[in-house]
Amino acid sequence: MILSNLESIPYRTVSKQLGLVQGSTVRAKHVGKDILAGLKNVFGGELKAYTELLQEARKEAVERMVQEADAIGADAILNIRFSTSSVTQGAAELFAYGTAVVLEDQ
Amino acid sequence: MHIDLIIVLVLLILGYGFGRHAEKRHYQSIIRREKEMRGMLTFSAKTPPQDLKIANTTLVGGNVVISVDYFKRFVSGLRGLIGGRMKTYETLLDRARREAVLRMKAEAQEQGAEMIFNVKLETASISKGAKNTIGSVEVYAYGTAVTLG
Amino acid sequence: MKFSNPKIPEGINTSPDHPLKEFAWLLGSVSLLIVIVISVLGFMAEFLATRIPFSYEMELAGRFADTNPDPSPTRDYLQEIADRLAAAQDLPGEMKITVHYADPEIANAFATLGGHIVIYRGLVEKMRSENALAMVVSHEIAHIKHRHPVVALGRGVTVGIALAALTGVSANIMADRVIGNAGTLTDIGFSRSQESEADATALAALVAVYGHANGSTDVFKTFMEINHSQPLNPPEFLSTHPNPENRIESIAQQIAGNGWQATGPLTPIPAAVIDSLNAD
Repeated sequence: MILSNLESIPYRTVSKQLGLVQGSTVRAKHVGKDILAGLKNVFGGELKAYTELLQEARKEAVERMVQEADAIGADAILNIRFSTSSVTQGAAELFAYGTAVVLEDQ
Repeated sequence: MHIDLIIVLVLLILGYGFGRHAEKRHYQSIIRREKEMRGMLTFSAKTPPQDLKIANTTLVGGNVVISVDYFKRFVSGLRGLIGGRMKTYETLLDRARREAVLRMKAEAQEQGAEMIFNVKLETASISKGAKNTIGSVEVYAYGTAVTLG
Repeated sequence: MKFSNPKIPEGINTSPDHPLKEFAWLLGSVSLLIVIVISVLGFMAEFLATRIPFSYEMELAGRFADTNPDPSPTRDYLQEIADRLAAAQDLPGEMKITVHYADPEIANAFATLGGHIVIYRGLVEKMRSENALAMVVSHEIAHIKHRHPVVALGRGVTVGIALAALTGVSANIMADRVIGNAGTLTDIGFSRSQESEADATALAALVAVYGHANGSTDVFKTFMEINHSQPLNPPEFLSTHPNPENRIESIAQQIAGNGWQATGPLTPIPAAVIDSLNAD
């Protein structure tokens, strides 16, 4: 599965457009990370635990999107976009979406 | 009332001291890595130019979550009453953006790419909930890395 | 196509201003704003509260205060001193002073709505002469004369509402703290100026009744002793009352300025009253 946020793959042509595919996860962090983050609130700096949490969540969202694309027989997902939102205290929703396409054989 | 004031003062000093120190070090690291990765080009353009010989494309991204310190939050609270530029938050977002872009470039470098097109940046606040919670921000930078060939 | 990646200079998306400078400016502006707002409200409260007729005050106080306290040697003695001083202070006819003598060993006294004054046993026992006691009584009567209890009540209500409204606005707990503290500090500034005003009026009445100012500083010296026995005393700007040292200083200046006698014979407290104090 080729992933791209461009509108086309530079060396390939699109033979069929299969529509929108999406992947999303909502992840919460556990209390331990919360306490450490509370300390960081005073001192500032990178919240590594949160960074990793969101990184993994995003990866999972992309995997789910790829799963959707796989299921409908796509070769690539174009014009991928991401969206992050904080839904409740301590939880974030990661959302990835793109256009699934079938590419012409090279 | 007195103990309250003393606690706030101590936290302010801690926040200011550690916050400034961390920020300075972070900026030094950012400037150094930006220099190293000057060769990795980024474009917000959606389409690569026609005359570019592209072999491969892949989606790359980098993210970072940075939190404000107590001093910054205090100042932002006061600024919220008076209005105007929140200068203390400007550095926070600047750092986060540049860090995210650097991490995206690093991933592209791992893939052997030289340019990243359609770079997009997304900023999210990770602080919904009670008034007293974290003032932190996540920046995610992503784009399509191309290897030339 | 030619590509290059020139270095972009720092400081365009960030401000070169030192964060401490911004902090100081913001703190100063917000505090000043609050001080101004609370001061204006304080003056308004004073203006409006003094317009309330004293008879209303007496009726309000009558609902929770005893208008005819139980007689006792000490209480009657204090009431007699109060009546003389009230005459010397030229109180309006409708202002009736009712003295209450309270048993707790607290070294304090206060004046409240409707002309009621409470003097605690702890303070009475510490005064060595009638003159010293009279200064205490005179001070509380002065509060009543200037309508301080009702003004303080009005100010408490208006400032309380204002602070409640202002501290809800900001989304930040720290800003709330700054607002709350600035507001409270301004408010107790008003309280201190009321105390100074009462001191001045009280002294004039004392001199009118006894012919001299001796004994007028005894109560403040007592407060100073009490302060020294405590490990930590708050600075003046955090108190509702001026420093005892400063109050003594002001009294000395007032005596000098008016050419009053600072020394003179002290009237002793009647033996009957002292016996009654020792008896309990």
